[in-house]
Amino acid sequence: MKRFQQFLTFALALTLCAFCFASCGGSKGNYTASNTEYFIGATGPLTGDVSSYGISVQNGAQLAIDEINANGGLNGTLFHFEMKDDQGGEEAAANGYTALYEAGMQLSIGSVTSGSCASFADHAKDDGILFITPSASAANVIAISDNAFRVCFGDPQQGTLSAETLSARYAKIGVIYDTSDPYSSGLYEAFDAKMVELGKVKDTDYIVRTFDKDSNKDFSTQVAALADAGCETIYLPIYYTEAGLIAKAAAAQGYDVPIFGNDGLDGVAAQLSSDVTASVEYITPFDVNATDEITSAFVSAYKAKYNTTPDQFAADGYDAVMILFAAMQKAGVSDVTLSASAMADLIRPVLTSADFSYTGLTGANMTWSKDGSCNKDAKIVKVQ
Amino acid sequence: MSTLINGLCLGGIFALIALGYTMVYGIAKMLNFAHGDIIMIGAYAIITTLSLSGNTIAAIIAAIIICTVLGILTERLAYRPLRGASPLAVLITAIGVSYLLQSIAQLIYGAQSIPVSIGSFGAVSVFGLSIPISSLITLALCVIIMTALTLFITKTKVGIAMLAVSEDRAAAQLMGVNVNMIITLTFAIGSALAAFASTFYLMQIPSATPTLGSMPGIKAFTASVIGGIGSIPGAMIGGILLGIIEKFALSIPALAPYTTAIEFSLLIIILLVKPTGILGKKRREKV
Amino acid sequence: MVIKMANSKTSEKKNNHLKYYFNYLLVGVFFLIFFILDMTMGLRTSTTQLLTKIAYSIILATSLNMIVGFLGELSLGHAGFMCVGAYIGCFCANFLHTVIPSPLIVLIIAMMIGGLVAALFGFLIGLPTLRLKGDYLAIATLAFGEIVRTIFKNLSAFGGAQGLPTKRYDKSLYIIAFLIVFITLFVIQNLKRSKHGRAIEAIRDNEIAARAMGINITYYKLIVFIIAAGFAGIAGVIYGHLVTPVANTFFSFNYSIEILVMVVLGGMGSITGSIIASTLLTFINVQLTTQLSGDMAALKYLIYALILIAMVLWNNAPALSNVREKVSLHHLLAWFNGKFSSKKPEKDSQTAVENAVYLKEEADWKKIPTKIPMDSILSTDIKPDRTTEADKPEKSSKQ
Repeated sequence: MKRFQQFLTFALALTLCAFCFASCGGSKGNYTASNTEYFIGATGPLTGDVSSYGISVQNGAQLAIDEINANGGLNGTLFHFEMKDDQGGEEAAANGYTALYEAGMQLSIGSVTSGSCASFADHAKDDGILFITPSASAANVIAISDNAFRVCFGDPQQGTLSAETLSARYAKIGVIYDTSDPYSSGLYEAFDAKMVELGKVKDTDYIVRTFDKDSNKDFSTQVAALADAGCETIYLPIYYTEAGLIAKAAAAQGYDVPIFGNDGLDGVAAQLSSDVTASVEYITPFDVNATDEITSAFVSAYKAKYNTTPDQFAADGYDAVMILFAAMQKAGVSDVTLSASAMADLIRPVLTSADFSYTGLTGANMTWSKDGSCNKDAKIVKVQ
Repeated sequence: MSTLINGLCLGGIFALIALGYTMVYGIAKMLNFAHGDIIMIGAYAIITTLSLSGNTIAAIIAAIIICTVLGILTERLAYRPLRGASPLAVLITAIGVSYLLQSIAQLIYGAQSIPVSIGSFGAVSVFGLSIPISSLITLALCVIIMTALTLFITKTKVGIAMLAVSEDRAAAQLMGVNVNMIITLTFAIGSALAAFASTFYLMQIPSATPTLGSMPGIKAFTASVIGGIGSIPGAMIGGILLGIIEKFALSIPALAPYTTAIEFSLLIIILLVKPTGILGKKRREKV
Repeated sequence: MVIKMANSKTSEKKNNHLKYYFNYLLVGVFFLIFFILDMTMGLRTSTTQLLTKIAYSIILATSLNMIVGFLGELSLGHAGFMCVGAYIGCFCANFLHTVIPSPLIVLIIAMMIGGLVAALFGFLIGLPTLRLKGDYLAIATLAFGEIVRTIFKNLSAFGGAQGLPTKRYDKSLYIIAFLIVFITLFVIQNLKRSKHGRAIEAIRDNEIAARAMGINITYYKLIVFIIAAGFAGIAGVIYGHLVTPVANTFFSFNYSIEILVMVVLGGMGSITGSIIASTLLTFINVQLTTQLSGDMAALKYLIYALILIAMVLWNNAPALSNVREKVSLHHLLAWFNGKFSSKKPEKDSQTAVENAVYLKEEADWKKIPTKIPMDSILSTDIKPDRTTEADKPEKSSKQ
């Protein structure tokens, strides 16, 4: 062990030297001075449990960047996109943010998951950088500063809408949600509040069961409880991986009631097997099977590049970049070395102005409020 | 009642994983943190062969072969060079191997969960309750494997050599036992058990992700400690107990979010009452 | 030079003295370099973030080393204590911010509260579980960590799954964090050198003999557990002031393992080792996260795992001991001496190598036995195990 310490001391001394060099220089804040391309940054989970979301957003955003660059960029200046891995965690998101900011990031599409996006936003506020998150739906993400926007629906919007839709259709609703996930619990809270407002009683009009994604992947008990209570539908304010498992668990018990969910369910179709006969519907801004020109072009380009079907995260990522691009065009950005806060001051008025709207994969004529939320119509997509 | 049956089904899987854990621990005396990830590799092996051949039996056999080879390989490359070093050093390489397997799986298969349907066997109806046949097979297989392992260890020559290695490695070596061979064999058996576990895991939870093995691994470890680590029937009892507790906790809405806490509290309580687990034998300390 | 010192007894004493101050010196120099850089030309935020992270990693690793290397018990729940400290401390800080205007005072009070509450948890969990041994204690502490995390995850007062929003401290957090590192070192090193420290080491080396000597085993075990938990709690508060929101996922059992990796790589029982290993691993980890972006990110764990395995194999594999010997610092020094000393180069190098071997044997002799029963069992070499012979536990039962 003694020897090892010496070896380590050596290694440490070496890294220390490297580290010293890396840590000084350019420390006074002007990181964008040497930019030759517009730099859009983001963090997202690229490894770990939720990495599929991060990878989808990255792929979608990169596709948008490629498309912009292929068309000559903004007045001939190209774009550069980089996503750092945050593993869905707050600390890594903060590290990723600073690394990006110091590498010259001018605009951002924030973070993919709600928890790390809250951390990201807290740092972004200090530096005055503008971001538009594709998928972080928690309320606190955009509340933190004026420069925080999002593409997807917020949790309160969707939960309320689900409560309205479902209570109009069914007398008894079963709910299964994930207590360990901010997205899922945020949706459920909004749903629950709306149900109470509608005069429904928990445990009689709607039955709630929970799980913890970290440790439970076997849903037989929860499904059996809803079946015993005679629920006419299952509302799943969760992500598609677990939703697929729940659908299969229900099918295995011969409990074929309609399944209803939110945008997190997008992608569930690939998770279902032939023995699932129940209908699956969800509220989503994006429908991979839509036949409009922009969607079909995106889907075929995505398939060609990444060899999988895009999900809603990929579409959100694509749109987020395209929205920034459109706003930059409209704001008449011409200086590639513009600092992040100056860029934000140019873009923010454009994004929130009444005459700016964007039609993309995840909605037509999207506009943005001052608080950062996106106004667009939801559509209900039926998988089967 | 249906909760009990669901608990038995889940418990069967925990028990299968715990058998592998306890086997490796009992003989090689190391906590193989990569065991859960071998299960994950087994699951991907099943998915790949299933999509190539479409034959479930072939897929299971392929998984067993791949897992066994992988178990032997990791033992050879990562653990054997450390024989004689501090056990904590071995623990860390095991963690390293666990990370390594997870990232390799992500590089090959991506992070997205891959759905799979291994021909489910349907369900039988007993007294108005439907019991999935796959769960019955899991439980039956558990009992069979448990008996077979016990017989193997107590009756065959190799098994007795294993016992000897577990009792006193140096003495066993002096008695002419090839310690390295025995430990490799232990890993091979443990990994083959992991392949069975991945089969039944996929029947119950039909999708695979690179991190699929870590939580079941921890829970199976817990189960084997509850049952008394190193004891083969103990692993089975611990696994089934844990499965039932988990399902009962989940069936009560107020307790459901705290399921993990309840399971681990059970572990602590059992350890406090019986510090060596349910079937573990007391170890006397000599001066 | 170093080699010759080890030969004479007086200089060995001096060496011990140096060893005692060496840790302060190490951390002090490291800190001062960056502090001066910060004062003169300013540090980037990423550097101060990394420094803070290194500081709390050192606190965590040295305090866990107290349990693992010093007391000889394996704990896998260190992140649990950190979790308690982070949640409770930051919860109080959120309240205090409304009363006290100075963030520094709030931070100090929060650290005290977080540390104390974590220490209290250390007491509560230690009292019943410390009678367990070896792997059983390890799994019990692991269970404790997960229980704590699950409870905080579901308490809406602490933000539930969304995490507890906190107020970040400014860039100078690293200065305070390094001050805490000094306090940690001071407490741990002084405890180690005191009468109590010797009692604790006696418990590690042979619990039964220690008990026979009239050492109150439960008392000392609890003391170590409480102090280590308290420092982990303080590290948690520092974390909560670096990152917002404080969410439960960070404190999972994987993080406990990560801290243990730092301790084991640095050498159990060696505080210097813990400091260096935690600095190095934190640095590697952050660099891998921030340098690899996009599709390369998936390689992060691959590289990290390979580094980990390679490091452990290199340092511990018995088969590699010859190679290690050849490239060791002593050997290089000896070679260096031989090359450049004017008189009798060959003989000099000869003695130097002998000394190096002597040192190695001495290091073996000092190898720290732990209470983990596999320790003594695992040695396949037929040589009698000099240090653990006395308390070799009876082997586990038949299957």
